[in-house]
Amino acid sequence: MAKPVVIVVGADKGGVGKTTVSRTLLDYFNANHVPTRAFDTESPRGTLKRFHPDITEIVDMTTTSDQMKIFDTLNAVSPSVTVIDVRAGLLSPSLASLRDIGFLDAAKSGQITFAVFHILGPSIASLDEIAETANFMQGAKYFLVKNFINNTSFFEWDQATYNSYFHRIKDATELTIPKLNEMAYEQVEVASVPFLKFVANKGPSDETANYSFVLRGYVRHWLSNVWTEFDRIKLTDLVGSGKPGARMGEK
Amino acid sequence: MHTTPVYIICSPRPLVGKTLVARQLSEFLLLKNGDVAAFDINLKEPSLVEYLPAITETAEVDNTFGKMALMDRVIVNDAVSKVIDLGFHAFDEFFAMSKEIGFMKEAARRGVSPVILFVADNDRASARAYAALDQQIPPTALVVIDNEYVLRGELAEAMGYGRILRIGALPSFLKTYIDRLTFSFTGYLRDEQDSSTELHQWIRRNYLSFRELELSLILQRP
Repeated sequence: MAKPVVIVVGADKGGVGKTTVSRTLLDYFNANHVPTRAFDTESPRGTLKRFHPDITEIVDMTTTSDQMKIFDTLNAVSPSVTVIDVRAGLLSPSLASLRDIGFLDAAKSGQITFAVFHILGPSIASLDEIAETANFMQGAKYFLVKNFINNTSFFEWDQATYNSYFHRIKDATELTIPKLNEMAYEQVEVASVPFLKFVANKGPSDETANYSFVLRGYVRHWLSNVWTEFDRIKLTDLVGSGKPGARMGEK
Repeated sequence: MHTTPVYIICSPRPLVGKTLVARQLSEFLLLKNGDVAAFDINLKEPSLVEYLPAITETAEVDNTFGKMALMDRVIVNDAVSKVIDLGFHAFDEFFAMSKEIGFMKEAARRGVSPVILFVADNDRASARAYAALDQQIPPTALVVIDNEYVLRGELAEAMGYGRILRIGALPSFLKTYIDRLTFSFTGYLRDEQDSSTELHQWIRRNYLSFRELELSLILQRP
């Protein structure tokens, strides 16, 4: 049986695109035929659940019962990959909780594959977050995500300062989410469907929709670039499903 | 399955005869099919919409709204031939957008047949633009317009390997005549009794070239 995989997507700052990155991950696994479930910690209202209602559950990660719901079922449920979209400000506390329940030790000993996608904001505060998060990263795959989707500018950082933080974490990998045309992004928001369904011109219940061909084209191109980044970091290897083959949305 | 042709007349250079070709082609398609939809993205040059206002609408590609308004119309297989007069200033943006949104692939999927009519010139911008199109567009969909009035028989070698559509040069007084906003090519063919006039023969030659181009499209259908 495949080793359970837990991917945490988070940042201590809001509005940096955590849910967008979670959505691209769910689309990526879907396209690569990797069964996945997701937890949205934006309790009680979940943005991720709005886009992926079939596989997403809203939880409150600060409660023991919901922690049990996520982690006690890792070996029991069939999707081997669990994506957790952690609410703004909860990344460090969540990692502390995971440490406290022995989850990080299990990851360190190789019983579980654990990865963190840390979405960076443009401010220096993000660098402090890296330093803080680094304390929990032993045994985990750590990805630093520069998210340009909402036109974030990262030039506020002095490169030397950034490197000094970045290199504190051994084997941290940097990846970039490119910018998506604003109108295309907005249209997917309005449609409330996964990016993949938008590209395929389908509505929430798989009915044929009538999205703009131009906007679908922009989303397809962007999603393909995001997936190229995921291929580069060998995300399918990480979840134990081998090399990405021909997948939906790229035909 | 019938396909809908979309003719895109383009050049990165101004004043090479794009609108002239667009006018003639639009009038030819209107004569032959009884219907055509023309789009003018040419607001900084002599403009198609001034010549054929009844069948032409203006379009723009410098913002997403404009791109949607144009491309969401053009990608529909509705049996109405489309003609796009693409101004030199919009050349790069249009083809960058086409590449990004996968226009050629989606068109093939929907039974729409884009034909790029590249009006050649002898400068470096044209050479670069043609090389870029050559990479992006299948050879069967890329046609070079050899406008004798502009090139004077000196078509660049690199542009001479694919399909070429030649437009002969007219004497200046006839050029001035057909440049009038009220001039109609089909109207001239209908009204002029003497079919031996130079202009009559020039229009018929060009219409014949367009017919051959259409025929080759039909023959390419799967």
